[in-house]
Amino acid sequence: MTDPINTIALYLALFGSLLILTRRQWTLNLIALTIQFLCLFPILCSFLPLQLAIIQPFTGLMVTLILYLTLINVGGIKRINLKLLPTSGEVFRALAGILLLSLLRAFIPQLQPAVFPTVPNTYLFLSLSLLVLGILQLGTTREPFYLAIGILTFLTGFQLLYNQLDFSLMLEALLVAVNLLLAIVGSFFIVKDAEGEES
Amino acid sequence: MSNTIMLWIVLPIALGVVTSFLRRWQKLYHSLSILIPLLLAVLAAIFSKNLMPNFAGQQIILNDSFVLFDRTIQIAANQLGMVSFLYLLCFGWNLLIPIFKQSQWFGSLSLIITALWVTVQFLSPFLYAAVVIELIALLSVPLLSPRGSPAKPGILRYLSAQTIALPFILLSGWMVSGIETSPSAEALVLRGALLLMLGVVLWLGIFPLHSWLPMLSEESHPWTSSFLLTIMQSSLTFFLLKVLNQYGWLRNLPELFLSLKWIGSLCILSAGVIAAFQNNVKRLPAYFFLAETGYMLLAIAFRGIGGLEILRMTLLPRVLSYWALGFSVATLQQAIDKNTLDFDSMRGLFWNFPFSSILLISTILNIIGSPLLSLFPAKYILWNLLPVDILPLSIPVAVGVLAMLILLLRLFSTIIHPKQETPLEENNSQKKEGLFINLAVSFIVLTMIIYGIFPDLLVYPFKELFSSFQNLLP
Repeated sequence: MTDPINTIALYLALFGSLLILTRRQWTLNLIALTIQFLCLFPILCSFLPLQLAIIQPFTGLMVTLILYLTLINVGGIKRINLKLLPTSGEVFRALAGILLLSLLRAFIPQLQPAVFPTVPNTYLFLSLSLLVLGILQLGTTREPFYLAIGILTFLTGFQLLYNQLDFSLMLEALLVAVNLLLAIVGSFFIVKDAEGEES
Repeated sequence: MSNTIMLWIVLPIALGVVTSFLRRWQKLYHSLSILIPLLLAVLAAIFSKNLMPNFAGQQIILNDSFVLFDRTIQIAANQLGMVSFLYLLCFGWNLLIPIFKQSQWFGSLSLIITALWVTVQFLSPFLYAAVVIELIALLSVPLLSPRGSPAKPGILRYLSAQTIALPFILLSGWMVSGIETSPSAEALVLRGALLLMLGVVLWLGIFPLHSWLPMLSEESHPWTSSFLLTIMQSSLTFFLLKVLNQYGWLRNLPELFLSLKWIGSLCILSAGVIAAFQNNVKRLPAYFFLAETGYMLLAIAFRGIGGLEILRMTLLPRVLSYWALGFSVATLQQAIDKNTLDFDSMRGLFWNFPFSSILLISTILNIIGSPLLSLFPAKYILWNLLPVDILPLSIPVAVGVLAMLILLLRLFSTIIHPKQETPLEENNSQKKEGLFINLAVSFIVLTMIIYGIFPDLLVYPFKELFSSFQNLLP
């Protein structure tokens, strides 16, 4: 993948998912999620026709919108405070995420020909990075909202990988349904938590 | 509706959505939630003989396939036994929804979830079912964690486990595609089998990845969790059989069935030992579920020497036991009016709620495999097969069963002995069991005993259940 747009999109998507993993500010997380999904578009366009490449980013944006509207309703959208110093937990997650990404970067050249010979190195790196960052998110949070976006990141990585291995319309349709349902479940959790706090 | 897919998948999902809007009219909602799965189960049983039956001189013809996104989904007549079984299970749980205070969505969501489990069995390529299972997990959220209570860690772990299982299953499917034509790819076969098994382990919560099971069981309503776990275990049993039936390379892997035997024994051992130290009755169904998963795996592993027959013998009695267990725990929870059912709060409970307590004890006895009860005949055969096959396998199973017996004795002692400092009258609450509970408990216990004496009674209606798994039959 020599296209500079794809390279920029790849690193932006990784930055977005790292931000989701690290920071615990809902507004910032939603922006990072949007970046992550938008950056998938040029990458997907490089191996899928336009009408198919648009499905995953479009679904992702819908999911983000559903979460955003729910957060607005419960008063969860606040001004982003960039000056807020990172907590020790945030530093730990950032370091763990960077470590995992570095390990992946180091092992991808060996892993790619042995397991996924048909997937280009860089795409494999992005897919697996999203997968491991998603898993790390699932393992380090007990907050339902972050669990939902952790699952979203995980599934995005997997969907990207599987699209290159064996694209199927049925699987794509099923995964779209999973993503949308996940957004509804995430919203359900947010509303439940808000109700709990009010009572 | 002249199509099996429309009738047993699309229609129930649509009806589930429609009934969810009728929640305000409780009686209508409950009646529909009970009648629809019953009707679907009966229809599936009728059509399982023939897809072109004659009704009053008129021939009804049902197509058995449906094309969606260039993929064919097919439910043949000989597979309708499974469909009937799953809808019967849904009917069994929906039957008692008016009694328990649980999520108001149960009636409609249980129907949709059952339809999705039916989809899991017949989707093509069948490993795409992993995504449908993820959908089921997400749809279960409102049932397991209804509004008014915060989301607890069990449900989050459950969602994580089901999500992580998804890539394992799908990647195994991709990895071994076309392997039938190149059987020499031994490394690929092993890798594919390992991924598949990892996925199944995560789905079923097999030891040591079982931590979500007791947490989920403790956090959610017993009636809801028992339904979701029962339908999951039954459906995944069918799914696993389908995988083995379809994949010759997996079936012929010599290490696979030996691994299944050891995993099964380990499940029984871990479930028994951990359960023996529990102090919360709401966590117990999860450990019984884990132990029964072990028995299920053992039965599959012994497929060459009648394992499938044993599996068929246990299917309905196991469902009946889960149903009775869910019923007794839910009844006791409602009676005590507490969210937790720890042993302390259950002291002397027998004297106030004798029928529910008897049901709880007899159900646990049944699940352990006590003689005279419905699960005994199948378990007796399995216990006898173990030492004949590999002697060391019987040790973990024996320890697991003994540990379960210790748990039973602890529980029995707890519910029999009232708190020492409180006189019996004061210890009792004002609540008493109603006539319905007494009759229901007597009926369930009698049924378990009758089926223990005549095990064929429960096997007969589903004698053709596994007929579609031609490659696994002897």
